[in-house]
Amino acid sequence: MYHGASMRNLVEYGIELLEKEGAEYGDIRFFDSKTENINVKNGAVEAIKNSNSRGYGIRVIKRGWGFASSNDFTKEGMEEAVKRALKIAKASSKASEKIELADIEIHEDTYETPHKKDPFKIGLEEKLDYLMDVDDRMNIDDKIKVRKCNFNAWKTIKEFASTEGAKIEQKLIQTGGGLSVNVFDGEDTQKRSYPNSFGGDFNSRGYEFFENLELLDNAKETAEEGVELLEADQCPKGNMDIILNTNQLALQVHESCGHPTELDRALGTEASYAGTSFLTPDKLNELRYGDERVNIVADATAEGGLGTFGYDDEGVKAKKVDLIRNGIFVGYQASREGAAKVGLEPSGNMRADGWENLPLVRMTNINLEPGSWEKDEIVEETKKGIIFDGVKSWSIDDKRLNFQFGTEAGYLVENGEISGLIKNPTYTDITPDFWKSCDAIAGEKDWVLHGVPNCGKGEPPQTMQVGHGCAPARFNEIRVGVGKWN
Amino acid sequence: MELNKENFEEISDKILNQSEADEIEVRITHNDTALTRYANSQIHQNIGRKDTKLAIRAIFGKKIGSASTNSLNEDSIENCLDKAEKIARNQRSDPDFKGLPDRKEPVDKEGVFLERTAEYSPDERAEKVKDIIDLAKEDGIDRVYGAFKTEASKLFIANSHGVKRCADLTTANLTTSVIADWDNDQGFGWGEMCSADVAEIDHLSVGKRAVDKGLNNLNPKKMDEGEYDVILEPLAVKDLLVYLDMMGFSAKSVQEKRSFMNGKFGEQIMDERVNIHDDVSDIDMVGYPFDYEGVPKKKVDIIKDGVANEVVYDSYTAGREDEKESTGHALPMPSPMSPLAMNLLMDTGTYSLDEMIEETKKGILVTRFNYCNPVHPVKGILTGLTRDGTWLVEDGEIKHPIKNLRFTQNLIEAFDSIEGIGEERELFAMGYFPAYFAAPALKISDFKFTGTTEF
Repeated sequence: MYHGASMRNLVEYGIELLEKEGAEYGDIRFFDSKTENINVKNGAVEAIKNSNSRGYGIRVIKRGWGFASSNDFTKEGMEEAVKRALKIAKASSKASEKIELADIEIHEDTYETPHKKDPFKIGLEEKLDYLMDVDDRMNIDDKIKVRKCNFNAWKTIKEFASTEGAKIEQKLIQTGGGLSVNVFDGEDTQKRSYPNSFGGDFNSRGYEFFENLELLDNAKETAEEGVELLEADQCPKGNMDIILNTNQLALQVHESCGHPTELDRALGTEASYAGTSFLTPDKLNELRYGDERVNIVADATAEGGLGTFGYDDEGVKAKKVDLIRNGIFVGYQASREGAAKVGLEPSGNMRADGWENLPLVRMTNINLEPGSWEKDEIVEETKKGIIFDGVKSWSIDDKRLNFQFGTEAGYLVENGEISGLIKNPTYTDITPDFWKSCDAIAGEKDWVLHGVPNCGKGEPPQTMQVGHGCAPARFNEIRVGVGKWN
Repeated sequence: MELNKENFEEISDKILNQSEADEIEVRITHNDTALTRYANSQIHQNIGRKDTKLAIRAIFGKKIGSASTNSLNEDSIENCLDKAEKIARNQRSDPDFKGLPDRKEPVDKEGVFLERTAEYSPDERAEKVKDIIDLAKEDGIDRVYGAFKTEASKLFIANSHGVKRCADLTTANLTTSVIADWDNDQGFGWGEMCSADVAEIDHLSVGKRAVDKGLNNLNPKKMDEGEYDVILEPLAVKDLLVYLDMMGFSAKSVQEKRSFMNGKFGEQIMDERVNIHDDVSDIDMVGYPFDYEGVPKKKVDIIKDGVANEVVYDSYTAGREDEKESTGHALPMPSPMSPLAMNLLMDTGTYSLDEMIEETKKGILVTRFNYCNPVHPVKGILTGLTRDGTWLVEDGEIKHPIKNLRFTQNLIEAFDSIEGIGEERELFAMGYFPAYFAAPALKISDFKFTGTTEF
């Protein structure tokens, strides 16, 4: 569909070679990615970067795992890469148990991200004009030392074939952007971003998603609040109710539910790097993870999610899997190999960052399902608390229990009303205690599907685009204002 | 196509001749990475990957465009140049851009390249991993984890001002962790070693260190949060140096008023025994001798006798200040992270680790930190947790293992509260960037632990 007969023939040739060499299993994933990044800073273009990367990765089992990647598209190149993958598999067999993969339905199919406007077909001039206007809107005060805004788009074409007969072609499109200001008054510095920090927000949609972010309409207000933060009171210390806005709650879900429900972590295969998980298989369907109103799913089918696709990089069709249901830990994100070890279905979460890397268990869209509250109602019914907004700092232990987050801004709530802006807000807790204290989740109307484009995992390090849908939620008696600030 | 200097020159000459831009930069990188990962005492991921990338920066006046491709056939090269030029033509001018570097002075060394590292085979890596697994088994541990990576890289830079450089680099990195008591989820231990020469990786010593730590880390007791003296092993110090680097050691962070060095140059901000410098030519260091713009890396004394002394520059940040030259610390441009100190060393002191322990009345011994993140970069406040072996030290002796603790600490205050610096240092790779750190152990007083976890 996307690359014509020559590429398909090469991939098929590789599969034939794997079969001929007696591979127990093999797959080949061709990958052609295109990215466009535009960064505007202080009225000038900091960077316009356009990159292309093409190649293929070969995964093979022959008494052990082997993986080799190459960007040599000749028959000889494929032969060399197959040979290398098999040689590596042979080396792995020196310390490898028998590998089993859970059965899956084998597909021959195509998939394309639904989109209205191809972001790569929109002229550079139009994007630059818009970003320059956004930059200009933020230029309101001498205390603003850095103004930044950006546009990012990715287009990826994947072809997947396996020795089991799978043939899948996909075209994925992702778009997004954001803005931020850094302010400084000679003593303190603060940062404020929209719609979120670290580049903004992203979806699997076309240029229409970037347009709908309304950066221009939010530029001035964001800059003003950045300046106000310099004069804001320091976050109080103590225990109180906290309300997480969706940009921060998305990261809370990511760190404290997304990562610990990755089965590879739970089984120890990431122990030496990212760590393990407190959600071990013996706790499945037993452990109370959170309040009964907490329902979290891994949903690769969510419309527009940054982690939405047709098939994962093992050929498993995109699906929606329960992770937390009515507060109970009920499911994992699992590869075919991991699923076979614990007797589960593969969840369709195996994804690789580019052609040169091995697929790993990666989040798709890890979504907190909406509750029944109105967003305003949560604030109105809070006697004393803090609303946290805009990711700034995050840290969590290697089993995903003790976490500490800091956001760009906090809003003090007293007797049901917002009474002031506070700076350097932080909160800390232990994961299950925190989710058990959740007593209000806003409804569908306030539910937002955010994109996190920079989730890191694996060795060599891989970066993945994942999604998190949620509506603002409240948590009771959480410790805030950590550390010494004077 | 053979990936050598002559071929890279041929490609870059063609681009430089063909280009209509006022200035042009060609960067070619080649990485041949092999990595064997093991978990639960089995090899579970084992990869070999090769990639060659061409990146072009085209400049018209002060308008810059960049494009890259990993395909080096004639059409792709032409497309890449065309794209970079098209972007540049449609760009806005950047008044702060003063031009590509034209510094052509020789570099001290042409990289560090060891054939035996480049040629290290999957079988050799697997055998070493097997040795570590067997060594742990002798102590009854059947849960061993880690990664053994060998890499051979090549960096070629040329620009229209006559800069033309090529260097090779090899690195080998071995990590090992153990979980000595899997059933009770305890007994975590760690070992790590990095070198340009794979023959210098003493895999059994790395494995033994991890095993010993794991066995000595059973039944950890909970410790209350609070302020304690800490003895940080070299790896834990490296974790802090990484964040000092990212929060404050670059000209960009100073120019953008987000560095803890702002307004402090010439002032004593750390203990007078603290000397931190970036120096790729140091005998303990590995790295390319020039940066990603082809500028030779200069030794930069960032903290000198505890005084905030200087920061690192690329050509862009140097161009924003009067009479400043790049120190040779550019990342692959354009990069919002550039410049970055990529070969950071902290000077050693006079203490052995044993002496630090012997002289401690009550304190905490830390193997390494996990998931650190700045809470407030200008104040230098960092948070993170201990990992893979933390012990209570009392009356000069290691008393017992303790459960991991979270710290939230002003790093400038911490480096101003140093009681002792280790007499030896170790080399570590950063992981995400091609950056390396050589760090000694440190004893620091009143380190702020703000939370505890359950293991």
